[in-house]
Amino acid sequence: MKSGLSIVIMREYLERVKRKSFIISTLVVPLLMIAMMFAPALIMLFSESESKTVAVIDETGILAARLKSNDEIKFVFTGDESIDEARTNDGYDAILVLGSKAIEKPQDAVILYSHGSLTMVSDSYISGQVCDAIEDVRLKAYNIENLEKILREVKVDITMPIIDIDKEEDTATSSVLSYILALVMDMMLYMFILIYGQMVMTSIIEEKTNRVLELVVSSVKPQWLMLGKIIGVGLVAITQILIWTGILGLCSSFALPMMAAMPEAATEPEFAGIIAQLSDVGFIISLAVYMLLFFIGGYLFYSAIFAAIGSAVDNIQDASQLTSIATMPVIIGIIASMSVINNPTSDMAFWLSVIPFTSPMTMMSRLPFGVPAWEIIVSLVVLYISFMLLIWVCAKIYRVGIFMYGKKPTLVEIIRWARYK
Amino acid sequence: MENIITAEHITKDFTKHRALDDVSIAVPRGKVYGLLGPNGAGKTTLIRIINHITAPDSGIVTFDGHTLTADDVVRIGYLPEERGLYKKMKVGEQALFFARLKGLKRREAEASLRQWFERLDISEWWDKKVEELSKGMAQKVQFIVTVLHKPSLLIFDEPFSGFDPINAGILKHEILKLRDEGATVIFSTHNMASVEELCDEITLINRSRNILSGPVREIRERFSDNRYEICFAGAPDALSNTGFDVKLGGINPEGFATATVSLPDASAVRPFLAAANQEVAINSFRCLLPSMDDIFVSAVNASNQSQPEEQ
Repeated sequence: MKSGLSIVIMREYLERVKRKSFIISTLVVPLLMIAMMFAPALIMLFSESESKTVAVIDETGILAARLKSNDEIKFVFTGDESIDEARTNDGYDAILVLGSKAIEKPQDAVILYSHGSLTMVSDSYISGQVCDAIEDVRLKAYNIENLEKILREVKVDITMPIIDIDKEEDTATSSVLSYILALVMDMMLYMFILIYGQMVMTSIIEEKTNRVLELVVSSVKPQWLMLGKIIGVGLVAITQILIWTGILGLCSSFALPMMAAMPEAATEPEFAGIIAQLSDVGFIISLAVYMLLFFIGGYLFYSAIFAAIGSAVDNIQDASQLTSIATMPVIIGIIASMSVINNPTSDMAFWLSVIPFTSPMTMMSRLPFGVPAWEIIVSLVVLYISFMLLIWVCAKIYRVGIFMYGKKPTLVEIIRWARYK
Repeated sequence: MENIITAEHITKDFTKHRALDDVSIAVPRGKVYGLLGPNGAGKTTLIRIINHITAPDSGIVTFDGHTLTADDVVRIGYLPEERGLYKKMKVGEQALFFARLKGLKRREAEASLRQWFERLDISEWWDKKVEELSKGMAQKVQFIVTVLHKPSLLIFDEPFSGFDPINAGILKHEILKLRDEGATVIFSTHNMASVEELCDEITLINRSRNILSGPVREIRERFSDNRYEICFAGAPDALSNTGFDVKLGGINPEGFATATVSLPDASAVRPFLAAANQEVAINSFRCLLPSMDDIFVSAVNASNQSQPEEQ
């Protein structure tokens, strides 16, 4: 009879993988994700190309030379051009007037004329440059010896790496990356439990409405049939995840070195942390293994519940009420894990990761921050043992439930079926 | 081993009613065994117990001399009354799936499936999706799936529902052929004409109890009300002179006059024939057995009266 299990798994798997909807969603989702990843960069690329030309009319005669242009703002020195002449010049996006009293009373003497309003970024850049220039001139006025050297020695620039003291090796981690990773994994888990758990449920209900069920159960035991469905649909989910990570991994393997090579990587501490964490292969692998174990555990646990619902009801309409009861703990787990992210070591975090209804979601948000090994083991053991207990109970409900045509069961009746010999 | 499958003192309770109450049957090897009864009598529950789909609350099912186990299921072919197929799957793939669930290897399964498809004239449907099939076509596929693994016990629940007379005929022919090849057939139906035609033995279940069991011929004789048909040449009225309860019939195709006579018991046959022989030239004389239809109705009514509905 065990061979029956593998035949059921194969059928469930191939039937779904061959469907057009599966192929399309598997290919389209990573494309969307990539598009979302690159959209900000693309937008930046386009906005950068529009550099603004700012005409500078300098009545002090010493400030203009100290203004530095960058990619977005280009300072042009007009020389003798008057304000009115500059205004009519279409080549200028803005005109910066530094009045003769600009150094003593910049509040009154510095004015920026522009066509339309400038962006916040360019506005603050220009004012920053003007301030720097004025400060520079004012400092020089004190005639301090070795001023340049002193300034250079006084200047402070903080880049603060965060070291995880719970780990044996001191590796730089990034809390932002952990946060994002936790969020993404939680959302993925939520999505997969709902999509694939309900797929198990509909697959059972479909067999009832097609009346094919009795033909199947006369050849394979209901327990094996149900297990076969859960595993078969689970394999579909794994296939999809593998394809997705394959595509994303391929893209990021190109993108990461490029990001690391960018000059910002050296100066931005968060960014450096992200790069360091992503390049830490050991951490990534252990994280991936744990996450996969919780992912699979969460899927198995909830799909067994959905399978029981599917076997207890006749049609999708009857199932919806019971489905909402089953999805409640998933949502509670997601909400709880959001608060757990802010405090991954609290008592609540610990207990939520022991209870099997919430542990997959909670652990997803805790794992990137580092969780003691014994806690992970306890959580996994509880999760998988409760899955096995659940499937044993569900198989009983299933055996009785499948032959209850045309009757909408109450929760009390389902519990009675579970205890039925 | 004379009986391939026996069920002894089977009782099965559902939440609100008793589906089977101390039912015993014994199905002899190599015969067609009819399982009859009104709707809701418990036939399908009994069939599910024999199939190891549900377990009885008490009682034992033996298969080939040993207690029925899950492993025996591969030697049983079951065509349920509630039957369907996966709509989105292709016909051939689907037949292969069921054949492999019954333990056949892919290669042998495909070879014999092709043969059966040829035999029932549905080869061109192999690559079609089930949703394109007519109901009769789908039933043929289900029939093939049931018999493909050459089970020694075949169980058909209402096999002819949904078939036109021509295809029902083909199916009957195939069922008898399988019996001749050594299979035992259990066969549940409301169609009494097909019972007379196919079944060697029957069991009649009513209100969860076995109310009548035995070989068809014996049962019909047991229910016989000693009515006989006589064909003869001579003056029709002459038979009235015999002093027996005679009803005249028409002229049969061979040109003889017919009449039916109700006798008080079987011992009255000789005196009646002696008396009739004086009056007319007897061409044939035969016992009129009641139809299974009549037996079904009278047995069920009798049992309902002796055992009024509970609650």
